[in-house]
Amino acid sequence: MSQVIVQVEDLNLSYKGLHAVQNISFSVESGEVLAVIGQNGSGKTSTVECIEGLRKPDGGRIQVFGKNPWLHRNEVYKEVGVQLQEAEYPLKIRVEEQCRLFAGFYERPADWNLLLKQMGLDDKRKCLISKLSGGERQRLSILLSLIGRPKLLILDELTTGLDPEVRQNMWISFENIRKGGVAIIMVSHYLDEVEALADKILYLEKGKQEFWGTQQEFREYAKGRISDDEYEENLSLEKLYLKIAPKTTGLTMEGIL
Amino acid sequence: MKGFLVICKIQLRLFTRDFFSFFFTLVFPVLMLLLFGGIFGNTPVYDGAAIRMMDISVPAYAVMITGVTGLMSMPLTLSGYKEKKIYKRFDATPVGKKSIMLAQVLVNLVMTLIGISILIIAGMLLYHIQIKGTFLSICFGVLFSIAAMFSMGFLFTAIGQDSRSTTLLCYLCYFIMLFLSGATMPDMMFPDSIKRISDCLPMTYAVDLMQGVFSGDSLKQHGMELLILGSLTLICIIAGAILYRRKDWT
Repeated sequence: MSQVIVQVEDLNLSYKGLHAVQNISFSVESGEVLAVIGQNGSGKTSTVECIEGLRKPDGGRIQVFGKNPWLHRNEVYKEVGVQLQEAEYPLKIRVEEQCRLFAGFYERPADWNLLLKQMGLDDKRKCLISKLSGGERQRLSILLSLIGRPKLLILDELTTGLDPEVRQNMWISFENIRKGGVAIIMVSHYLDEVEALADKILYLEKGKQEFWGTQQEFREYAKGRISDDEYEENLSLEKLYLKIAPKTTGLTMEGIL
Repeated sequence: MKGFLVICKIQLRLFTRDFFSFFFTLVFPVLMLLLFGGIFGNTPVYDGAAIRMMDISVPAYAVMITGVTGLMSMPLTLSGYKEKKIYKRFDATPVGKKSIMLAQVLVNLVMTLIGISILIIAGMLLYHIQIKGTFLSICFGVLFSIAAMFSMGFLFTAIGQDSRSTTLLCYLCYFIMLFLSGATMPDMMFPDSIKRISDCLPMTYAVDLMQGVFSGDSLKQHGMELLILGSLTLICIIAGAILYRRKDWT
């Protein structure tokens, strides 16, 4: 039976008087993948950082495993694995030392040697983190989010910097992790990834919740926002999203030449 | 506890991989000792003086070590970690950022004590320095010097908006104190104008205290130094803690 892992009600957050997130409500159950989508600056990372207990919300209620993550961060993190969008690691630390370090934080850590092999980083274990490529660092970051055998995974920009083959492998891996009952919240700009993995979608625009529901419901919602002429039955999620997302001006040669 | 021990172990390794910290904590003070020892030997500071050059240089260089770790190594690592959002990543684990900060303090403390020990052993073996103070009074001297330098470093990390401004603050403070406090050359050689500046520097009091306790003075004789260094430590820790709470860690 599914269990509610994350419950968010009327979440509000502002930075220096500017509303970053307004009245957001949703929930995530065990074995469910929620994709948080929206343009840059729409409040995706701010929302997940509140769930992670890294930011204190101005208003609303967040419960992760029944606890307030801001007040009980250390307890909550025994069950939560996180891959942050922009965090780094000390450059002079070796890959295996970083894994050993993170494994030391948990009572029953995963076999990180096995994870290194599965992530294709086995031959990099002695490498300093400063010597890793962007894709390799991203894989290490994902690996570290899994070391504590989490029941909730929060992945901010999961496959940024990864080549297509590795991306596909990641999708398969996370599908398997989800089948194991782990709840996943993923922030992504890649709608093909969202289409392949997500059960539910939370769509944000300028800090406001525009939609929360299943992929099928999102299609219905999008259909309602565009004209009949624009809508086609078999549009990919990405094309559908591009039709409803606020338009941005493209670059013209005028400013360059 | 297990997590904290692993952090300490890794931080210790990172310290030894950082050339600046390793060299200036463990090697440079001994090189200074060899250089000035080679020039002056352990001769009286001036003709007929009871104080000998290397006897007062070792405690002064010991204060220099506390400055390297407290004002350079620790704050620069901490501000770098903040800027690269390494703290944020630690905050997203069961141990939190306080553990890595505490581990940093502990590792720098241990390396300071190792650096001072190496310096004293080198002084005893090479120049037969005389340590007349009791073990307890020397421990107090070292402790107050470390507390003052580390708390200043903590405050600078809290004041600095980014890694660059923290580095600037720490470098300025460290090098001014290094050359004008008597840590590199005895302050009795300074002209009066420099002496007046020297009297305003916390490291001067740390050097006076250490040289005093090494030469057999009781702690009571250095009540003023203990009061200044103790007060400075308290002020820096309280001010630093207030500023730290206001910082944006995300």
